[in-house]
Amino acid sequence: MENKEILRKHVDELAVKVNGEVQEILGALVLTVKGSYITETLNAAKNFADVPCDFLHDLTAVDVGEQFAVVYQLSSLNGPQTLRVKGMIDRDTPVIESVTRIWRGANFLEREAYDMFGIQFKGHPNLKRIYLWEEFEGYPLRKDYVTESVEKRAVILTMKPGE
Amino acid sequence: MTLERTEELALNLGPQHPSMHGVFRMVAHFDGEIITKIDPKIGYLHRGLEKLAESRTYAQFIPYTDRLDYLAAPHNNMAYVQAVEKLANIQIPERAEYLRVIFAELARIASHLVFIGSLALDMAGWTAWGYCFRDRERILDLFEMTAGSRLTVNAMRIGGFSQEVPDEFWPALKSFLDDLPEMLEEYQGIFYGNEIAMGRMKSVGILTKEDAANFSTTGPVLRASGVKHDLRKDAPYGIYDRFEFDVPVLYGCDSYDRGLIRLLEIKESAKIIRQAMRDIPEGPIMAKVPKVLKPPVGEVYHAVENPKGELGFYLVSDGSTKPARLRIRSATFINIQLLPAISPGWKIQDVIAIFATLDAVLGEVDK
Amino acid sequence: MDALNKLPLNIAAAIRGLFGDPHSIWADLTMTVIGIVLVIVLIVLAALILILLERKIGGWASQRPGPNRLGPRGWFQTIADALKLLGKEDVTPAEADRFIFKIAPMIVFALPMMTLAVIPFGMGMVPIDLDLGIMYYLAISAISTLALLMAGWGSNSNYSMLGGMRAVAQMISYEIPLIFSLLGVVMITQTFSLSKIVEAQSTIPFVVIQPIAFVIYFIAGIAEVNRAPFDLVEADQEIVAGPFTEYTGLRWGLFFLGEYGNMTAVAALITTMFLGGWQGPGFLPGIVWFFLKVGIIIFLMMWIRWTFPRMRIDHLMGLAWKVLLPLSLLNILLTGLGIYIYQYVLRIGG
Repeated sequence: MENKEILRKHVDELAVKVNGEVQEILGALVLTVKGSYITETLNAAKNFADVPCDFLHDLTAVDVGEQFAVVYQLSSLNGPQTLRVKGMIDRDTPVIESVTRIWRGANFLEREAYDMFGIQFKGHPNLKRIYLWEEFEGYPLRKDYVTESVEKRAVILTMKPGE
Repeated sequence: MTLERTEELALNLGPQHPSMHGVFRMVAHFDGEIITKIDPKIGYLHRGLEKLAESRTYAQFIPYTDRLDYLAAPHNNMAYVQAVEKLANIQIPERAEYLRVIFAELARIASHLVFIGSLALDMAGWTAWGYCFRDRERILDLFEMTAGSRLTVNAMRIGGFSQEVPDEFWPALKSFLDDLPEMLEEYQGIFYGNEIAMGRMKSVGILTKEDAANFSTTGPVLRASGVKHDLRKDAPYGIYDRFEFDVPVLYGCDSYDRGLIRLLEIKESAKIIRQAMRDIPEGPIMAKVPKVLKPPVGEVYHAVENPKGELGFYLVSDGSTKPARLRIRSATFINIQLLPAISPGWKIQDVIAIFATLDAVLGEVDK
Repeated sequence: MDALNKLPLNIAAAIRGLFGDPHSIWADLTMTVIGIVLVIVLIVLAALILILLERKIGGWASQRPGPNRLGPRGWFQTIADALKLLGKEDVTPAEADRFIFKIAPMIVFALPMMTLAVIPFGMGMVPIDLDLGIMYYLAISAISTLALLMAGWGSNSNYSMLGGMRAVAQMISYEIPLIFSLLGVVMITQTFSLSKIVEAQSTIPFVVIQPIAFVIYFIAGIAEVNRAPFDLVEADQEIVAGPFTEYTGLRWGLFFLGEYGNMTAVAALITTMFLGGWQGPGFLPGIVWFFLKVGIIIFLMMWIRWTFPRMRIDHLMGLAWKVLLPLSLLNILLTGLGIYIYQYVLRIGG
């Protein structure tokens, strides 16, 4: 458990610096920060002394109502430490710094998040839809995406509220 | 003297192409026979599983996981049901744990056999392919006699295992394991030991340790680049901490080692299955799970060592019967990014081999 | 047995006898036509049998049944496939160079016909007995490169084009060790005529005297007919089917016939040059010996195809220029020395 304590200490220190919040959900350490701090946070996490969280497992987004949470699952190839970082961004201006400069492997993952949530990753080398075609309308994994057939969707999208 | 340059040729490979392992598509730019740039295009098999999950209950989503990496369906089942069990805090019976391990490792062997076969086939080694599929058939028979289906096994349930294995399962499994060393010998002889195959794969498609880590590579591809990382050892899930096995690591960083490591992993999987067969207790195979499963509010990221790499499920529960968000972290979707990174400078034939060694399964890449 | 051996000759004489003057131009013409028809029949039959054989051997090698549904043990499979090909739509790509596209498969099909015409199938059974038989054979078989390039270029598809280019690079490279390996035999026999070479092997086949040349010719021959492990031209895992990608129906079938015809031709030349042609122990007629030897060579080719992975293009070139070419030159040198020593010994002895 020593590893976990050191990590906790580092994360707590980092949370103060980036104005974030630390939680422990089902045994996993979660650090929630504002989207604008994400590069700083991840750079710091990558360079934690003794417990570097330098391996990006996954990058995805979650629609949490008013905001999107961009979720980074971090760990290391050299130790048991794991850390989940969440960058919260506004639904209306879904823009966040790209991490492709830190992990080249984030390339496809960010494209996928863009494809499914419409999150703009600033500084991404090739931010295009990855699964869906370019002309596809809407971002399917947003909660307000209408999953009806195309004909119905056209009607629903033009409806006024309360109709 | 000025050096004349020839025009660059853009060649579209896929989605209908013999060696694209499904519906992968890439636009390859050539200078003569040398690749200068590769532009992968995916999404031809995209079914929107993550969106579908939001309108299915937790139990209803299990069959969809079979369709992810369809060559190792039990693994996907296991990753998913374990994630849900972690989220809902369900303990499962011992026997079910052992059965899961046996099925998962069988699936690993089956998946690696397909890998070896298709790697050989991508170099026109038809006979090696025939051998691998002949032997994989026996594993599929084992699946069939238990679950009724061969490819999309759907054998695991939240809280345990779908059904007890039949009596003829154990002798068939034992005879398969007994024959396995001989089979591996055959693959070694017909393919891995072949001069031409070695010449085509040795020192080709170098993926350095640093690049592999930076690209979030996982699984055999990472281990063939000299990184000892296996979730079964490093973050044991289920009962994997009870078994004794080695994690094969190779340091060649080339196509040949990426191919060979699968052969070594089959041996380790066989070891695990033998131990599981020895230790498996009698008892129930299903825990008591509420009919309507409502996990508490929370989130969990659970990852298992799929034959192709790390398969992770990130589940967010809002307390209802359906997941608020289900995220699939599939190994080959991320590993496939290596293709444009390590291919330039090699010949088109090498690139086909490199792509084969990344072992992409489009069901998983496209989700 | 001698009677059986001479039977074709007697039949030929009988047919010539139908004309008033057995050496009139009409008699010669008739015999030539009969010869050509027989060669065409041979190619078509060979293709039918070889395709089935290939699939059966493939099944046997990779431990599966192979075709086994149509007819006894699947023997009618090829016939059904051929009929299916006949019924297929003939598609010419819109952007293709139509003339070149259409003529290429015909050339590919015609070449083995022309090369087989100079092979002695049995005692006195040479459709056309040329004094420069080897030269003629090599010259004609080299044209197949051109046909593949035409198919690749005419299709106007990138896959085809790459295949055509590979064909040129590969075949021109392998042509050289191929020709040099035959020189040893020519030096010993002092003749270019294939029937004289066969007669020279009445005591001992040249594979014993020229083992290096035999191996070189066998390898280069496989490369020359684009079979695995040298089938880069139609490497289906990389360039789909190379020059044949855009072809459909009967045109594609012609390529297939041509491929198996070429294979037969190469095997026939190996048999003639190195294995003693139709010569063999007397209990079987010469023509049976001939086809038995051809069959063994073809079986070896198929066995190799189903066992080995495909080579890479630079290794392929390396093999031709760095291994086979020096070896074939060495073989010529050794043969020359051998002949010189032999003559010296003869002179001393005599």
